[in-house]
Amino acid sequence: MSNDNKNISRRDFVKGAATGLVVGAFASMGMYSYTSSAYSRLPKVERKMEDFGACRSIRVTNISETSWFNNAHLIGDIHAAGGLLVNQYTLNWAPFANGKGSAKGSYEEGIGSIKELLPHDLKKAWELQKKLALHPDNPGGYSCLIEVEALDGTIHKYLLDTGWSYEWMEDSFKREGIDKMLEEQQIEALFISHEHWDHFWGLPVTVKYDNRIPLYVHDGFYKEGLQYIKDSGYKGDLTIVDKPITQIIPGMALLKFDVPIINRVFGETSLAFNIQGKGLVLISGCCHQGILKFADFAQANLKYDNDRFYGIYGGLHISPFEDWDPKYDDLVISLGQWNFERIGCNHCTGHLTAKKFIEAGYPVVRGSARFRSASKDYLGNGDKISFGC
Amino acid sequence: MDNSSVSYLESRKLVKRWSGPIPALVNTIIIFAFFYATWWIFQDPRGIMRMYTPYVGYMVCRWLLILFIWVAYIFDFWPFKRSWLNKTHPLIKGGILTLVSVAAMVILIKGFFIEILGNYGIAYFNPARLEAMGITDFYAIEYAAEAIMMFAAIASWLSPSWVVACENAPWQKLGQPARGITIAVVTFFMSMIVYFLTMHSHMAILFYPWQKFTAICPPYWEEFANTVSGNFHIAWIMCCTVVVWLFETIWQRYPFNLIKNNALRRLASFFGIIGIAVALCFFLYYAQDLVWGETIRGTRRLMAPDWRWLHVGEMAIFWLVPSLYLTFYCNNWPTKFSRPVNVCIRTLLTAAMAAVVYIIYYKTSHLFLGTQKGFSHPQQFPMIPMIWLINIFLINVWFMDGWPGWKAVPKTEAELEEVKEEIVASDVTWTSKLAKGLAVGLCIGVLLYVAIINILPWIGANFTIIN
Repeated sequence: MSNDNKNISRRDFVKGAATGLVVGAFASMGMYSYTSSAYSRLPKVERKMEDFGACRSIRVTNISETSWFNNAHLIGDIHAAGGLLVNQYTLNWAPFANGKGSAKGSYEEGIGSIKELLPHDLKKAWELQKKLALHPDNPGGYSCLIEVEALDGTIHKYLLDTGWSYEWMEDSFKREGIDKMLEEQQIEALFISHEHWDHFWGLPVTVKYDNRIPLYVHDGFYKEGLQYIKDSGYKGDLTIVDKPITQIIPGMALLKFDVPIINRVFGETSLAFNIQGKGLVLISGCCHQGILKFADFAQANLKYDNDRFYGIYGGLHISPFEDWDPKYDDLVISLGQWNFERIGCNHCTGHLTAKKFIEAGYPVVRGSARFRSASKDYLGNGDKISFGC
Repeated sequence: MDNSSVSYLESRKLVKRWSGPIPALVNTIIIFAFFYATWWIFQDPRGIMRMYTPYVGYMVCRWLLILFIWVAYIFDFWPFKRSWLNKTHPLIKGGILTLVSVAAMVILIKGFFIEILGNYGIAYFNPARLEAMGITDFYAIEYAAEAIMMFAAIASWLSPSWVVACENAPWQKLGQPARGITIAVVTFFMSMIVYFLTMHSHMAILFYPWQKFTAICPPYWEEFANTVSGNFHIAWIMCCTVVVWLFETIWQRYPFNLIKNNALRRLASFFGIIGIAVALCFFLYYAQDLVWGETIRGTRRLMAPDWRWLHVGEMAIFWLVPSLYLTFYCNNWPTKFSRPVNVCIRTLLTAAMAAVVYIIYYKTSHLFLGTQKGFSHPQQFPMIPMIWLINIFLINVWFMDGWPGWKAVPKTEAELEEVKEEIVASDVTWTSKLAKGLAVGLCIGVLLYVAIINILPWIGANFTIIN
């Protein structure tokens, strides 16, 4: 009898303990997890303050920000192919079209039709591809020239991205004199921000004028992208960027972000500059990592003058298809807290975002809406912006 | 008590056709094969219909889930007769009931949401209207699908809650279809209210300028959630959806079924589920901050508060998969201890299994599901394949009686009495030892929580799931 009582008591204790364990864990979750004391426990992020030197000024020339000319055609093609996760090389866009229609393209078949023409006869290659591709007149491209003035007055020139359409990019390069600069090897390197069609597929246009220009790509590039570099006729020094920070020259660093991007692309690289006496300037191709993550990473890792964010240039990837999401308003609301002095944006930033930036009173540098750029709300094709001059 | 006085699901007992783990193994293989085949046909971005855009695919699997809940739980399979359910081969039964659910889903989405609500009420439910007003067709379809899907997300918490927590009260004595129609209408109406309070403002912000005259913009949750995105609500609503099933399956309605008073038990269960869900929601949000660092408002992906809230719901759904699997295919193992001990072991076990499923999913899903690599891509919604898989579990267990591994036999009178024991439990009574155990258990629970939040930063610093 007494043993029975002991057993019952023990069982009751265990029942209570088992119940209490689950209740206690959930109660703690609810009462502590979202409190200020829970967050005061989080370690403060220690700023690494990596010194990457300083430069005197930079000037950015927008070679082309118009990556495509018709949103409905671009997103319609993606939609028809099965959505934003479909591999970009299968979309059947030039220069990887095979004429088989939506989502039936392939890198091998596309490049097979033009490989022999790269990079010397881009006109013929593009004409051939236009016959096979979906919406062949839609491609444009993103590319800009960055001129960095070192502290000793030397000017270093770099290309960020190389656009998409061979036809459009050739015209844009000629318009801004990039073809001559490349031929004369004035441009010291080409940085590809990410593997997307509108930033990377125009590579043969750069290679045509300088096939040995040092080239930097993110280590998330797929085998098709790496093969395309070879198939474009590139013979130079390819750097696969695998470090978070790569210093290029004093005051200029390439930052790597491992971020998943639509149409199976992975990873973005962007540029950071320290302008002497002014502060940090951030330049991006598409900024898929987000401008605030970009800024936050720079703040956590880099040392820059006045400890101040000075300027931004590039595609900020907010409403590239003029779509919207409430989280984009989070960005519009919070960007002001970072106190950038000059905001030069375009491309995938979206017109709607630029409009909202202007409405919020941010120092957006407006453009001239020339050469098929659609709005004066941001820096269009052929427009320039300077930082520190 | 006889079989006809309880619901079909309660009236039957699923008996293994073969001994040992063979039925579970056979069903698992068939379910995964069916999952992969149907995923390829309907959802996979590389497959045939490619509904994973993602919102169209998300809307479909969410509404399928609701329809299954309505057919089995709310309508108790009406208008199908009990004799038909008992005699028909599971394959035929599964096929017919699934097709009926799909047909009802199409009527509801196309007929009610798009054509009626979208044309005569709120424009954003109808993609054609959005497109006519200048929105790109892709986003017109995605926005409408998102709105319709969110209705289902709310309903997939409230509909089963009314059956499980509220025990169908006060309509439990009504016959079918009166009971089904009443509960469906009431939960649909409640879903509509919750939708307007939680998601309408989110939808309004999609359109420029903000629809300030028709929605609260910026919304009331902005300061608390650190975002204007409705993903904040998705977090706790998804946790509610998951907790209601944990409560029904691995927890066997414990501990609220210790309350003898009907009204009190039902109220405690309904609001208890919400309370537990909110606790889980806060923890899962905090856990991310511990692993990945504090959020930055306005940024994108992993570091954004809106994505972290969404990911709370995604993490919760990872818990539901092993919980349902344990209940359906492992006979709710373990069952040999007292109910509180069984519940405690199942909770810890399924939470650990959820972590394993989470890791496997993110390591491999981009390879075999056609989704994007990475945690936080805007088109990466693990909720879609997880719910797709859960839907297949439900078809197999609810509509096909667990065929081929199991078959349905009528419950005996004694077994039917056990159903009542689920609703009002009598196996735990208050004693001083129980109180002592409870106090000790509470301390251990708190310590477990403290241990976890101390381990998480170390995990964040030392483990990489995706290279």
